[in-house]
Amino acid sequence: MCGIVGYFDKVGAANQPIGKILLGMLDALACRGPDSAGVALFGIPRPNQLVAQVKVGDNGGSTQRTLEVKTAAQRFGAQEFAQNGAYLRFTFREDDDLEPFISSIESIGADVEVVSVGRRLEIVKQVGSPSRLEQSFGISRFYGGHGIGHTRLSTESVVDLSHSQPFWGHGYPDLAIVHNGHITNYHQLRRRYQEHGVRFYTENDSEVIAIFVADKLRQGITLRAALESMITELDGSFSCLVATDSALAFVKDRFSFKPLLYTETAGFVAVATEEIAIRGAILGEYDVREAQAKEMQVWHR
Amino acid sequence: MAQIDGAGRSTREVNAAIRRLIAEGSTDITVLNPGARHNLAVAILDEVRIRLAGSAGYYCGGLGDGASIEVEGSAGWGLAESMLSGTIRVHGNAGSGAAAALRNGTVVVHGDAAARLGVSMKGGEVVVAGNCGYMAGFMAQKGTLIVCGDAGEAFADSMYTTVCYVGGNIASLGTDAVLSPMDPGESERLEATLNAHLPAALRCTKPAAADFKKVVAGRKLWNFDKREWRIWQEAL
Repeated sequence: MCGIVGYFDKVGAANQPIGKILLGMLDALACRGPDSAGVALFGIPRPNQLVAQVKVGDNGGSTQRTLEVKTAAQRFGAQEFAQNGAYLRFTFREDDDLEPFISSIESIGADVEVVSVGRRLEIVKQVGSPSRLEQSFGISRFYGGHGIGHTRLSTESVVDLSHSQPFWGHGYPDLAIVHNGHITNYHQLRRRYQEHGVRFYTENDSEVIAIFVADKLRQGITLRAALESMITELDGSFSCLVATDSALAFVKDRFSFKPLLYTETAGFVAVATEEIAIRGAILGEYDVREAQAKEMQVWHR
Repeated sequence: MAQIDGAGRSTREVNAAIRRLIAEGSTDITVLNPGARHNLAVAILDEVRIRLAGSAGYYCGGLGDGASIEVEGSAGWGLAESMLSGTIRVHGNAGSGAAAALRNGTVVVHGDAAARLGVSMKGGEVVVAGNCGYMAGFMAQKGTLIVCGDAGEAFADSMYTTVCYVGGNIASLGTDAVLSPMDPGESERLEATLNAHLPAALRCTKPAAADFKKVVAGRKLWNFDKREWRIWQEAL
């Protein structure tokens, strides 16, 4: 099953209670997947700074481990450290090439992972139902312009923090995806990327979608064209949301295997696996429709 | 007229309240704040009128036998699935699998229908004022499927005796689906059906019945013949 949600403020003031809205939507879908839950939130950008969320270890990481990560991060101008469970959050100097930063941090330990980097993007996810997200991270206090969320029912791979969604387009700032479905040519695609030196962190088929989109965007292809190529190059079922620093998009597979509903008003766009999630979180009058097979929509700010 | 407020109530409580009101003799029930809950008004076996003042989730009105249900919003997956008789009218859009395995009765959607509309329907009438998605009418056996707008890919695939009418374009016909001319008097009957089920304001924005395309089974898949192996390869 799995449930996915997305919200996009079209006015662009970036001051929406995005955490609260996504949490409300995810709560309504908790019964679709209680294994793990997560959100990718796009907050208010600050000039020349990136924000990172780093998993310091599988069990939250020792004090020593956290110190090592901090020391490594400081070489990239990191400051404003805040630790929350397994996550260390900090800001650092903007750089076009993230590779030195990522390899420096991740070489500290096999279970150290840069979960997200972006001017606006912050991903937090954890094992358990959506309500635990609020208890652990207080995401209802997060304000921003848009975001996506996921609640997971694991079918193939293990249940832990790294296998949870959303997935970052690893190495590509401000790109996150959530996926409901099953990618059947996953191993083939994964092998292809591995031959080009891409590291995979999980056995989750959804991870390859994030890598796929990041790869396309790096080639200079538009987000819309990247989604179009998903329809022909990915096999299996997918209702997928993709978010960048300025856009929210969705794409559905050619057989429309998985549900995905959306509404668009003058002020906002909301997308969810079930209408109950949208109605539960957003009051007012608006029409909701299910996306058709092969349908995609991209909303830019 | 009896009223139930869905706000703060579980689906089970709302459905139990509907049944209690019917047992007490109500024939006209309104559910306020349905909130797109799933399984609303399923398996109602009485000829009552139920109005949902908002959207419904999955399987609304499924397995019903006689009720007349009005959804004043959208409906999710499996609208009126396996309904035996009665009427369901949706003012907004319907999700995938609307009227799947419909046995009889009438399903009307004022907006669009998503994928797999009327798959395996075994009778009854389906009228969609807007467009329908992928694979509508797949393996439909009896009844009538009417789409006033455009139909998606693989329309009317592998059907038996269901008759389909499409007012707009058909993205592609499914296996063994063929266009067929209308019989004398058929477009008049179609016109009457459309007028009976769509509000006049909506009906006047749709094509005239005579301009609809009729789609039926080509009957190539009804009997297995080894010499037609290639058709079967494509169908399976």
